[in-house]
Amino acid sequence: MKGREQEYREIFIAEALEYYDALSRHISDLEKAPQDEQVLAEIFRLLHNLKANAKAIGFITIADVSHKLETAFGMIRNKELNFSDEVVTVLFDGIDMLGELITSIDSPKEVEPSPALLRNLDIIINSLSDNSAELSKVQKYYNSKNLSLSDLIYIQIKKLDHLLNLVGELIIDRDRIFSISKELDNDDLKNVSAHLYRITEELQYSVMDARLVNVGSLFNKFPRIVRDIAVAESKEINLDIIGQDIQIDRNILQIITDSLLHLMRNAISHGIEKADVRKKAKKSPQGNITLSAQNDRDTVILRLIDDGKGIDQQEVKRAIVQRGFLSADAVNDLRETEVLSYLFEPGFSLAKEVTEVSGRGVGLDVVKNAIDSIGGRIRVDSKKGEGTTFTLFLPTSIAVKGALLCQVEENFYAIPLMHTDSVVALPTAELHEVGDLLVADINSETITIVSLKELFNTDISEYSVRKNDLESDVQNIIIVTYNNRKLGLIVDKLLRQQDIVIKALSRPVNTIEIYAGVTLLGSGKVCLVLDVAAITRYFIARR
Amino acid sequence: MEITDKKRILIVDDSFYMRTMLKNMLLDAGYDVVGEAPDGKTALQMAREKVPDLVTLDVILPDNTGLDVLKGIKQDNPDMKVVIVSAVGQEVIMTEAAEYGALHYIIKPFSEDKVLEALSNAFKEEE
Repeated sequence: MKGREQEYREIFIAEALEYYDALSRHISDLEKAPQDEQVLAEIFRLLHNLKANAKAIGFITIADVSHKLETAFGMIRNKELNFSDEVVTVLFDGIDMLGELITSIDSPKEVEPSPALLRNLDIIINSLSDNSAELSKVQKYYNSKNLSLSDLIYIQIKKLDHLLNLVGELIIDRDRIFSISKELDNDDLKNVSAHLYRITEELQYSVMDARLVNVGSLFNKFPRIVRDIAVAESKEINLDIIGQDIQIDRNILQIITDSLLHLMRNAISHGIEKADVRKKAKKSPQGNITLSAQNDRDTVILRLIDDGKGIDQQEVKRAIVQRGFLSADAVNDLRETEVLSYLFEPGFSLAKEVTEVSGRGVGLDVVKNAIDSIGGRIRVDSKKGEGTTFTLFLPTSIAVKGALLCQVEENFYAIPLMHTDSVVALPTAELHEVGDLLVADINSETITIVSLKELFNTDISEYSVRKNDLESDVQNIIIVTYNNRKLGLIVDKLLRQQDIVIKALSRPVNTIEIYAGVTLLGSGKVCLVLDVAAITRYFIARR
Repeated sequence: MEITDKKRILIVDDSFYMRTMLKNMLLDAGYDVVGEAPDGKTALQMAREKVPDLVTLDVILPDNTGLDVLKGIKQDNPDMKVVIVSAVGQEVIMTEAAEYGALHYIIKPFSEDKVLEALSNAFKEEE
């Protein structure tokens, strides 16, 4: 982290350079139209700000020169001084000097303003009439004119998006070349390729880095929002914000903005109780909400924690049955986290009675979809009477994702690491047939097991598998999680973990619901990226 | 963080540097900075939308003069407090500002103490 002093210094310099550019522009305009009051006012304002800022930060010479120029322009405005050729020259010199002083702030060579120029400025300021006769010829301040631009730029996010796409394409080609160099076993090609590899990697991280913003840029909007909702709901809320400095891709932050707002609104409206209710429950009358961010390797974890009334598991179970999602028997087999995951089902949280009794509002399915769309995860934990925590696991960058590569028949597939839980090798004998599906008990959990080979060879709606369909005695299974629910995927071969650049599928393939996109491997082979969310959703519904 | 008691401040200054310094000072002192406006038009719009408890107002702005903004704010909301932030040499304006209801001044370059003192004096009148 940069210190505040350093930050102030950078801002000062960037802004001072902008002022200097504007001053140079305006004074040229003024030469053409010496009476233009708007231009005069603008020059006056710029010098005024420069003076005040320089004084505040302690650059006395800049403050002093700005002050003299400001005074001179003030006099021209008040018609106490003519904008004569001689005066113009001195003012031009003065502004050039300012530019030189500003650009030299960070250079080791200290720049002193020319005494002759300072004297000329004094002569102009102190004599109320034209005293050009006294003006001495100033040794031109600039030996060579340097043009300086600000160190900070604004850039449209769309341009960064484009840059990132190009980097994505480049990485795919790089991997391809890397792979070819190995195949050809040519040392020169290998060297070039290794170098290319490093450079593109650095390029990729630089572009990703340029897109990062502080989570604080979103978090810091919440005190006001919380205050407003709390007032409207007649509740007292104490909000703690932690981890504003954590960085995340700007587009990801943009996409989850509404979701976070929604969760916050729910926490206040349906989670936190009114003061009198809280007192009865021996809680502080003020409800506590914490909004936090932290890094965990390539993932940013956001948490929204409230100490409100929590979610009543029994009520949610009742609603699951009422809404026809599961039978009463099936509901009782659900684990706690599974019960709560139904809150994210479309059509579930719409139920008004659920909203009120379970302490959660509508629209959690929308929140979930937004987070799915960027390859993130959301989970909810809650204890009746004690409060609720929503946890969002978000990728730091949208472009590159860690993935587990596997092989089914001749083809390669990628499963984003965000969704992988574990990998197991299970004897085929331990799989059981339940209806058209297979299940297995893994770590005392009953998990539906899907054969990817069968899935890829049939339409998903006609998928069915018997134990006899499986060829070997031991099955390689990747356990994936989605919305607190697990699913096992049988693959032929596990390959490796790798960073991949996911490209969207183009029509007409984009309607195939089990793929999230496609990537190219170094070998040049196409690798489809599985849509874990869609596959899990489908099989959980079928079970 | 105590939200409910925090005084809400709008900063009006055309210099990003000044706004940043002022904002950090105010945030450190426990104020809630609800907006930053770089010109008169934005200032008036934000004052209307965000209804801050207090506005720190620079008097030399790119579009309007600070006094026009002051008049506009007081017209919309006579109770909104306005503290004038101005550099040395603008004392004349302060007399005029007082006529429109700005009673407290901060002279640039400001020290943290002076800023906080001016604000707490402005809020004291309430009681």
